[in-house]
Amino acid sequence: MNGAGRAFLRLLSVQGSWNYERMQGIGMGFAAEPLLDDLRTTEPGRYPEAVVRSAEFFNANPYLAGLALGASARAEYDAVPGEQIVRLRAALAGPLGALGDSLFWAGILPALSGLALAALALGAGWWVVALFVLAFNAVRLATASWALSTGLASGMRVGGALGASKLPRAATRSGAAAAFAVGVGTPMAAAWLLHPFGARGVASAVLIAGAGLGLARWSGARFTATRFGLLALGITLLLRLVTA
Amino acid sequence: MTGADGFTLLLLLLWGALAGIDLVSVPQAMFSRPLVAGTVAGALLGDVGAGLRVGAVLELFALDVLPVGAVRYPDYGAAAVGAAAIAAGSPWELGLGVAVGIGLLLSAVGGWSLLALRRLNADAVGRHAAALRSGEPSVIRRLHLASIARDVVRSLLLAGLALGVAGVTLRWVRLDRGTAAALTIAAVGAAAASALGGAARGAGTGSRRRWLAAGGAVGTVLGVLVWGLL
Repeated sequence: MNGAGRAFLRLLSVQGSWNYERMQGIGMGFAAEPLLDDLRTTEPGRYPEAVVRSAEFFNANPYLAGLALGASARAEYDAVPGEQIVRLRAALAGPLGALGDSLFWAGILPALSGLALAALALGAGWWVVALFVLAFNAVRLATASWALSTGLASGMRVGGALGASKLPRAATRSGAAAAFAVGVGTPMAAAWLLHPFGARGVASAVLIAGAGLGLARWSGARFTATRFGLLALGITLLLRLVTA
Repeated sequence: MTGADGFTLLLLLLWGALAGIDLVSVPQAMFSRPLVAGTVAGALLGDVGAGLRVGAVLELFALDVLPVGAVRYPDYGAAAVGAAAIAAGSPWELGLGVAVGIGLLLSAVGGWSLLALRRLNADAVGRHAAALRSGEPSVIRRLHLASIARDVVRSLLLAGLALGVAGVTLRWVRLDRGTAAALTIAAVGAAAASALGGAARGAGTGSRRRWLAAGGAVGTVLGVLVWGLL
C-alpha cells in the first residue's frame, strides 16, 4: 500500500469540511484517497465501496484520526467484510475522541499555554510564543505520524495497539500538568499586567475575578468567558460614566 | 494601527485569515491561539509588546473553553489581530481594556460564522449525497476543497471586519485615562476568572483540582514577588 505520506499531509486538513451531516467523514475520505489508490488496480470491484466507506460519518480528535484512517485502509486491503470496517470506525471514534481531547485540548495545549504565560510574566519575549507553537506542533505531528503508521500496521487489531500505547497514561499526566501550569500562569500573567495599577488596581481585579468564579460556579457552563468578559467591561464602563 | 501603510494592512489581513482557517480547517497548528495571533499582529505593526499583552489576556479567556470538534467556541484568531491593531502604538495600560473588549465581541462573531460555515458544509454534503454513494473519489475531493475555500472566504471576511472595527474604534472611541485604565483592570480580572474557572471545571474534584490549587499558590507567590505587588 502506497500513499502514506500524502495521506498524512491530507490529514492535516481532516476537519476542513467539518459539518453537522458527517462531521469529519468527508475529510477522512479525502485523506484516504491516496491510501486506497492501489486498491483500484488490485481489487477494482471493492474499490468504490471502500471509497464510500472512507467518507462516511466519523468524528474523533483530529490528531488521532490517523489511527482509524490507517486501520480502515489496512482492513480494506486485508479484504475484511465491509460491515466490520464500518463497525471498526464507529468503535474507534469515541475512544479516539476522548483520548485525544484529554491529551491535547485538556492537557498539552493548556499546559504549554500556562507555561508560556508564566514565562512572559517573568520577562521572556516573543520567542516564548514561537517556542509554544514549535513545542505543540512537535508533539502533535509526532503523535499523528505514530497514529497513522500504527493504524496501517495494525488493521483490525488497532484497538490492542492503542491500549498498549503510552497515550492513556500521557493523557492522565498531561491533564495534571495542565491544571498546574494554568494555576501558575494565570496569577503570574495577571500580576504582570496589573503591576502599573498598584494595590487598588490589583484589589479591583481580584474582586472581578472572584465575582466571575462565583458566577461560573453558580451558572455552570452557560455563562461563557466571552459573556462574563463583556459584562465586566460593560459594568465598569457604566460605573465610570455614572460616577464621572 | 494608526498610520499603518497599505502593505502592513494587507499582511494583517492575510495573517488574520490564516489564523481563521487554522482554527478548524488546516493546519490546526495553533496560529489561531490568541497569544500567537496577537503577538504576530503586534510584530507586524511594530509593537510586539502590545500584541503580546493583548494575546495574553485573550489567551486567558480562550483557556475557558476546549476547542473540541462539535462544541461551539469563539474564534479568537482574527479577533486577536483586530485587538492588537487597536492596542498597538499607544500606552498598553490604557489601550488594553478597549482592545480586549472589541476582541471578545469579534471572537463571538467568529464563533457564529463558524456555525454558519458548518451548516453550509452540511448543505453541500446533502446536495451531493447521491454522488457520494457512487464511490468516485473526485466527489469527495471537490467537496472537501470547496469547504476549505468557504473557510478561507469566512476567515478573510472576519479578518477584514476585525481590521475595520479596529479602525473605527481608533478613529471614534475616546476615553479618559481613568476609564481606560479601569477597563484594562476589569479585562485582566475577567480573563483570570475565565482561565481559572475553565481549569477548575476541567479538573473536576480529584487530584487535578489539587494540582490546580498548588499551581495557583505558586503562581500567586511568584507573581507578587516578581512584580512587587505588595
